Amino acid sequence: MLWKMAWRNLWRHRRRTFINLGSVAFGVWLTITAVGLGDYSYLRTINDSARMGFGHVTVQPEGYQASPSLEKRISDTNNTLSRVLEIDGVDHGVVRIIGQSMLASASKTVGGAFIAVDPSLETPEVNLFIRALKRGEMFSGTAGREAVIGSLMAEKLNLDLGKKLVLTAVDKNGEVVSELFRVKGIFKTSVTEVDSSTLLVPIDRIRKTLGYGADEATMISAYVEDYRKSRSVRDLISASVAPQGAEVATWRETQSELASLSDVDRGMNVLFLALLGVLISAGILNTSLMSVLERKQEFGMMLAVGMRPAQLAGMVLTESFFIGALGLCIGSLLCAPWIYYLLEVGLDMSSMMGTDYSAGGVLIDPILHIELYWQTILITIVGLLVLSMGAALYPAVSAARIPPIDVIKKVA
Amino acid sequence: MKNSLLPPFALSLLCSAPHPAVAAPEPLDVAALLDRIDDMWRGDASEAVVSMTVKTANYERSMKMEAWSLGEERTLIRIIEPLKEKGSATLKSGNNIYTYLPKTDRTIRLTSGMMGGSWMGSHFTNDDLVKESRLRQDYDAKLSFQGERGGQNLIEITLLPKEGAAVVWGKIVTTVDAGSLMPLETLYYDEDMAVARTARFTDIGNLGGRQVPTVMTMIPSDKPKEFTRIKYEKLDLGVKLDDAFFSVNRLKRTR
Amino acid sequence: MYTLTIAVRSLGRNKRRMVITTLATALAGWIMLVYSALLDGMVRTMERTVVSLELGDLQIHAEGYRRDPDLYLRISRGEELADELSKRGLLSAPRLYTFALAASGVSSAGAELRGIDVEREARVSEIHKHVRHGSWLDTTDPRGIVLGAKLARSMNAKVGSEVVLLGQAADGSMANDLYQVRGVLKTISERADRSGLFLTEAAFRELMVLPEGHHELALARGKHDLNAAKSIASSEAKGAEVMTWRELQPAVAQMLDSSVAGRFILMFIMYGAISMVILNATLMSVFERIREFGVMKAIGVTPFQVGFVIFLEVMLQALAASAIALATGLPLAFYLQRHGWNLSSFAGDMSFAGIAMEPIWYAQVSVAGVATAIGALFAIVALASLYPGIKAAIIRPLEAIYHR
Repeated sequence: MLWKMAWRNLWRHRRRTFINLGSVAFGVWLTITAVGLGDYSYLRTINDSARMGFGHVTVQPEGYQASPSLEKRISDTNNTLSRVLEIDGVDHGVVRIIGQSMLASASKTVGGAFIAVDPSLETPEVNLFIRALKRGEMFSGTAGREAVIGSLMAEKLNLDLGKKLVLTAVDKNGEVVSELFRVKGIFKTSVTEVDSSTLLVPIDRIRKTLGYGADEATMISAYVEDYRKSRSVRDLISASVAPQGAEVATWRETQSELASLSDVDRGMNVLFLALLGVLISAGILNTSLMSVLERKQEFGMMLAVGMRPAQLAGMVLTESFFIGALGLCIGSLLCAPWIYYLLEVGLDMSSMMGTDYSAGGVLIDPILHIELYWQTILITIVGLLVLSMGAALYPAVSAARIPPIDVIKKVA
Repeated sequence: MKNSLLPPFALSLLCSAPHPAVAAPEPLDVAALLDRIDDMWRGDASEAVVSMTVKTANYERSMKMEAWSLGEERTLIRIIEPLKEKGSATLKSGNNIYTYLPKTDRTIRLTSGMMGGSWMGSHFTNDDLVKESRLRQDYDAKLSFQGERGGQNLIEITLLPKEGAAVVWGKIVTTVDAGSLMPLETLYYDEDMAVARTARFTDIGNLGGRQVPTVMTMIPSDKPKEFTRIKYEKLDLGVKLDDAFFSVNRLKRTR
Repeated sequence: MYTLTIAVRSLGRNKRRMVITTLATALAGWIMLVYSALLDGMVRTMERTVVSLELGDLQIHAEGYRRDPDLYLRISRGEELADELSKRGLLSAPRLYTFALAASGVSSAGAELRGIDVEREARVSEIHKHVRHGSWLDTTDPRGIVLGAKLARSMNAKVGSEVVLLGQAADGSMANDLYQVRGVLKTISERADRSGLFLTEAAFRELMVLPEGHHELALARGKHDLNAAKSIASSEAKGAEVMTWRELQPAVAQMLDSSVAGRFILMFIMYGAISMVILNATLMSVFERIREFGVMKAIGVTPFQVGFVIFLEVMLQALAASAIALATGLPLAFYLQRHGWNLSSFAGDMSFAGIAMEPIWYAQVSVAGVATAIGALFAIVALASLYPGIKAAIIRPLEAIYHR
């Protein structure tokens, strides 16, 4: 009965209903876009940063995080890696040795960090340096003497494809050791620090150089299909898989500054969404309140013919619920093509970023996409429904408070 | 990353040819020749007084130092002059280099990152000190020329890096006077076989009762006006030294 | 005048509706004002973050120094140049750089020594405010050094630890001396954190036997914009290389731009929501009263006058709304400009593209920003009143009277 009345009321005041529906539908569109863009930007930043070295979840020797050293290492890496890969939600895993070294050519010597990798595990997906290859190619074996180096390092050492380079580091016993490599590829990420001091080398060769066992490394990095699952994956790994003497950390711990930044970013987005919510509910509140005021006479009549104030309030709320639900449906339908466009094509922001956005290299994508999680969609839907009904709460209560006699008198 | 001419192991690169690598059909025993030359400056153990002059575009400096060696793995060098650096000492023990600094009374082990740094402001790096004794493992030696060239009867020995050896040079070529068997010149080539630096051996004189070149001058090819010159003033190959002499604890002890 | 009176009166007759509509519009205006001030502030904060800790707006080096940082490649008259530049409104800080080994106890690490002119540095950068433990450099304590966060960790050094520096002095001698850690920095940048070792210019010169010259001059652009500052600096520092921070760190500049671009999209969305509220309020206040307008027309008011009355009413409300928005929003925006909004409760050390970020978000109030917000408010209100205004103007009286 109440539902029917509320429904009929909506269509008796079509214009008002359409305005309200428009508000909600527009709100859906704005919220989904804002949340999706925000989530996409975290996703990208976090994944890019994971691809630069540590992955989403890292198994490393105890104490390595506090003071990294090649003397610290974990063992049984192959077995651990295969068990890590079996964990639900883990997409990729790599075994790496990361360390500081001195690099020399016949003309010069520079300091730099080496990342020793197994090329069969590394894909452009998980390794930004491979994606940033400008010349030459990635080495294919694990025991070769081939290296992929940064463009600025190549420049400093006066190196080119095929040229020799000697890496000197401190081995597992603290002894100074050297190894020869030839340049196989040159990458350019456009981050000066990285391009001038990073190189990739084959892992088994470095193991031999450093005196590591065939199954030892400084880290195992896991790439999680959805970065939000990092923590549960970490707990799973540390509970059952991690070798002795190892600690397991998520990207939040290995890259605490990035985590802080993304927290603040998220905070700002919450602020933004809160303001957006205030605006949307202000719109709905405005409309409902006005409509209640306009319908005083009508409400007075209803009360006079025996409707209880609570029922009246319920009716107003039900109207709002209909508007919210209908608005959500219309909004979702209307913004579906837009969402699809953002997911598939994206917004080209290059005009806002100056002409030469290539300076940012692989780290900058001038095309903005969105990332939608079903949780965000659900929260948006529930949130907007709650907002639209919450905004009608005050008008509903004030409708219920209308003294029937006065109103009729007033009108008469 | 240059190979070493450092005192007193400075010329020892000439002994670096591993015996089996010397091809049998060679009319000349390269290994024996290299050994002979090496023994000019360094026996099982040595004690020397050496002066070093460094000239670069930015400074010129000379220093005087005492140096001891035992085998190929241990070397101790202590500065006598200038006064400012008197007592500073460098100990090479295996692959490690320790520096004692009297000004701060500290002994520091150099990290891998410092290995590329200049040793005592010269054209040698700390890494040269470490790499020097490894030439034997890193290169194959062969006789590349014998006969007359430029009016001089010469023997030329070429050291080629072994497969995978962690060295930056393309090759090292040493020229020896065929008559006196005195070394004359060593050229260091980069990968593109261009000369990167040149070492010259001159001023043959009496050291430890034998005739040997007493001066060697190193000239980097990219800065032809610069050089590092090392002059042996005293050399004693008959000293008795033990491992304890080359301990880190002994570093700071002044004589 | 006559129409104005009608407009004021009809607003007065519907006080409650007028108040609701005005408040909704004011809320929208308020959010627009504060949010755009925060957004402008963020752009500025991010740029300041990038330049204020170590980079500076511009840097001057001797030609070729950046490619191959050589101890001997110096700007010869650094102090003189700094004085000349400050006369033209560009404050600058001369700096010295070299690499050395830093050892503390049994640990040692390669370090980038940075010789700092403590007094001038404070005019260009805010690094002195970023000390986590202990204190910043002081010229009266020439043995006191300040370490980057990661360097201190890898050397196992704390405030009070003794540190030996070993390097090669400009005269070829062994540079070595004993120092004491005075301070350990917060996160500054990847490079400074990992290897930055700061000492006073005098201490640097003594250690490295480098009596004169500087490797770098970091400039603050002051009131000039970046390009103007660059041309001033170039004209003063002839023969040296002058570069803006954008040229020095193109990737960071790009990241900043893309981040800003993302924020502006959010701003568009916010404007969308605001227009929606205003449109909604205006439409409601006009449509609910179509019947009234019908009556007006029935008694002989021309369609134009009806439209004009509606327009005036709406504009009066917008005026009141913007007054409210300004009265409440501006003080908040100014407060946020002065004191900032401390986000440190959200997180600890932050960095943007490897450069540390202050956890305080400052707003930026500008005439242009406020004018845009208020102008947009009026424009949206005017646009929103257009449709119902025209509708009311052309509607036939009878139809209007029965209009729901």
